[in-house]
Amino acid sequence: MGTVHAKAPTVDSQPSGLKTSSVSGDNKKNDVYVKFDKLPVRVQRVVVDGLTRTKDDVVIKEIKPLLGAKTFDELVQLSYNAKVKMERLGLFKNVVIAIDVSKDKAEHGYEVMFEVQEFRQIDGGIHTTISNNDGSLDFQVKAPNMMGRGERFSLDYTLGTKRTHGYSAYFRKPLNNNPDIFVGCTGYQFHGEFPWSGYKQTDRGMAFDLTFPTFLGSHNLQWEGVWRDLRALSRDTSFSVREQAGHSLKSSLKHTFSIDSRNNPVLPSVGALWQTSQIFQVSFAGGIMRTLDPRASICISDRFFLGGPLTLRGFNMKGCGPHSHDNALGAESYWLAAAHVYSPLPFRPGRGRFGDLFKTHFFVNAGNLGTIDFNNLSASFNDMFTTLRWSYGFGIVLCMGNLARLELNYVIPMRVQKGDKANPGLQFGIGVQFL
Amino acid sequence: MSLVVDAVQATIGASEPWPDDVILYQQYQVEQITLPDYAQCLAVETFLHMCGLRFRVEQRTNAEEMSPSGKVPFIQVGPYLVSEFDPVVGFVSTKGFNLSQSLSDTERSEMRAYISMIENILGNAELYMAWLYPDIAAEVTKPRYGCCYPWPLSWILPWRKQREVRARLEANDWASKTCEEVCGEVRTCCQALSERLEKKKYFFGDKPTELDAMVFGHLYTLLTTILPGGHFTAVVQDFDNLAQFCKRIEDSFFKLAFD
Repeated sequence: MGTVHAKAPTVDSQPSGLKTSSVSGDNKKNDVYVKFDKLPVRVQRVVVDGLTRTKDDVVIKEIKPLLGAKTFDELVQLSYNAKVKMERLGLFKNVVIAIDVSKDKAEHGYEVMFEVQEFRQIDGGIHTTISNNDGSLDFQVKAPNMMGRGERFSLDYTLGTKRTHGYSAYFRKPLNNNPDIFVGCTGYQFHGEFPWSGYKQTDRGMAFDLTFPTFLGSHNLQWEGVWRDLRALSRDTSFSVREQAGHSLKSSLKHTFSIDSRNNPVLPSVGALWQTSQIFQVSFAGGIMRTLDPRASICISDRFFLGGPLTLRGFNMKGCGPHSHDNALGAESYWLAAAHVYSPLPFRPGRGRFGDLFKTHFFVNAGNLGTIDFNNLSASFNDMFTTLRWSYGFGIVLCMGNLARLELNYVIPMRVQKGDKANPGLQFGIGVQFL
Repeated sequence: MSLVVDAVQATIGASEPWPDDVILYQQYQVEQITLPDYAQCLAVETFLHMCGLRFRVEQRTNAEEMSPSGKVPFIQVGPYLVSEFDPVVGFVSTKGFNLSQSLSDTERSEMRAYISMIENILGNAELYMAWLYPDIAAEVTKPRYGCCYPWPLSWILPWRKQREVRARLEANDWASKTCEEVCGEVRTCCQALSERLEKKKYFFGDKPTELDAMVFGHLYTLLTTILPGGHFTAVVQDFDNLAQFCKRIEDSFFKLAFD
C-alpha cells in the first residue's frame, strides 16, 4: 500500500487556508489543531507523474472525482479510492499520493500529486503448481497493462510430471474501467495422458468469457469450443476405450458462480464441536450428466471417475467403477461423501510454529458411481445407494501454504464392488481438490 | 518396437484357432473412405476371403484413429489387433493359413518383388491422385475425409491429412511428378503385371496368392472408382487380361460372399 503525505503546517509559512480554520491559541502558541472534516478545499491541480504507456483517458476518468472534493477528509478519501482502483485495474504497480497546498497560494487551494510506477512491459516467471497427485512446472510470460488500459496478456507453457504438457495464451480487458467486469479470451493446446483409463488426449480450444459481479457474488459466463483428439495410450489399451479414439468437438457454455468467504481453503473449519479443538467436518459431492441428444453417447474424457487418496480413500486413483482390462471406463453419475474429525498432533510438537500445519484425522468416506436411468429414477437412485463403496481410516494431514494438501493415511476399504481396485493399508495423497 | 510387439503377438496368437468373431474395421465405404484406404481395405478383405477365413466387416468413422498403427484396415482377432496388409498376412500364416506355401523360393521372392512394386507405384499413385491432384482433392477426397465431422473439423482434418500426404510424397519424389508422369508409372506397373499374368488364371498358376489379393485390391479400386478425369481407369482398362482378372476374382470371392 502506498502512503498519503500531507505537509505539516509550520508557523512561518502557514497557508492561508489553515489560518482561518480552528486554531486554538490558548494552550501553546505553536500548536495547530485542524479539523480535517471541516477544512474546506479546492483542488486546483492534479499531477500524475510516471505515465509512459498508460492512456490518459483512463487515468483522467479515475482522477476526475478528486476535483469535486469539498473537504480535506473527502479529498484524502477520494485520492485513496482512485489509487486503489487504478491498482486493481492493473495499471500501476504502486501509487504514492502527495497532497500539498497549491503553489499560487490561492485560498483553500490544493494540489494532488500521484507518483505512479508502471509495470514492466514484459514480465515472466516460473512456478510450480500441484494438482491431484500430479505436479507441473509453469513458465509464464506476461504483458501487464499491455495497451495502456489495464489489458493483460499472458503466454503459458506447462510441463507436468505425468507426460502432460501444454501451452495457452490469455487476454483479458476490463470493461468500462471497472476492475470487476472484464472480458477474456483464451486459446490453448494441452496434451495429457490418462493411464487409469489407457488413453491420451490432445485438446485444442478457445474460450471467451465475461466476468461480472452481483450483490451475491461473482459470475463468470464462458463459451468454450474444444477439439479433442483422443488416442489409445498403448497396445494394451482395452478395446472399449480404443473404440472411442478419434476427433470430437465439444462446445460448452459454462456459468460459474462463486462466493468465497472461506478463511482457509485447505483445512476449512465448519464449527468446532469439542473444546479440545477437534474439528468435525462433513462434505458431500455429486454429479449427473446427460446428453441433450438421446442418440449421442458421452465420451470417456467427459465422464466421472471415482477413487483416489484425496477423494474415496482406500481405492486406487480412479479405481472405482467399471473397468475393461485395467482401464477405468467411468460413469455418468456419482456421489461422494466424507466425514472427518481433525485434531492436532498428539503432544503438540512444534506448537505455534511448524507443528500447526499438521493435523491428525479420522475419516469415513463413501461413494458410488453408475448410470442413472431417467425413465426409472427411483430404482436408479436406490441402486446408487445399495451398491455403495465405503472405507474408513486415519492419518496425518499437512497443509502447505494454504494451497496444497498432503495426506498419509491408513485406510480400510469396507465395501468394494466387482471390478474395483481397492488399495487397503497405507496410502499417500497430494493435491488441491479433496473431500 | 511395434514390429517386435507384432512378432510376439503373432507368436502368442498362433496357438489359438481362428475364432468366429473376427472383425475387420474400416471407414464408411459409401460416404467416407478415400481411394488409397479403400484399396488397402479391399486387398486385406480379398486375402482373408482367399484363405477361406470367416470375418465380418464393421464400418466406423474413427477406424483410422482406432487402428494401432493409425492406418486402415485392421482386424480384431480375440484380444489381438493387427493392422495393414503385411502384418495381417504374417498373423494369418501363424494360424496355419498360407497362400504361398506351394511356391518355390524363387517364386516367393518374385512375388515379394511384385507386391513391393504395387505398394510403391500404385500406392503412391493413388495417394498422388487422391490428395495432390487439385480437382479430385477438392471435389472428392477432402469432402469425403471430413464428411463425418462438424465444422471446423470437417475442414481442418482433411487439410492436415493432405499436408501429411504431401510431405510423404515430397520425401519420395512423387510430389514433383506431373499427372502424365504418374499415369505413365501406373501404365508401366500394369504392363509388368499384365506380362506376368499372361493368360493364366492367377499370377502363380491355378491357386491365388497374396499377390493376387493385392493386385485385385488396387486394380479393382482404380477400375470402379469414378473420379473426375478418370485417368487411372482409362490406363487399367487398356490391359484386357487385368480387367478380366479383376472380374474373375470378384465373381469367385465376392459374389459368393455377398450372396
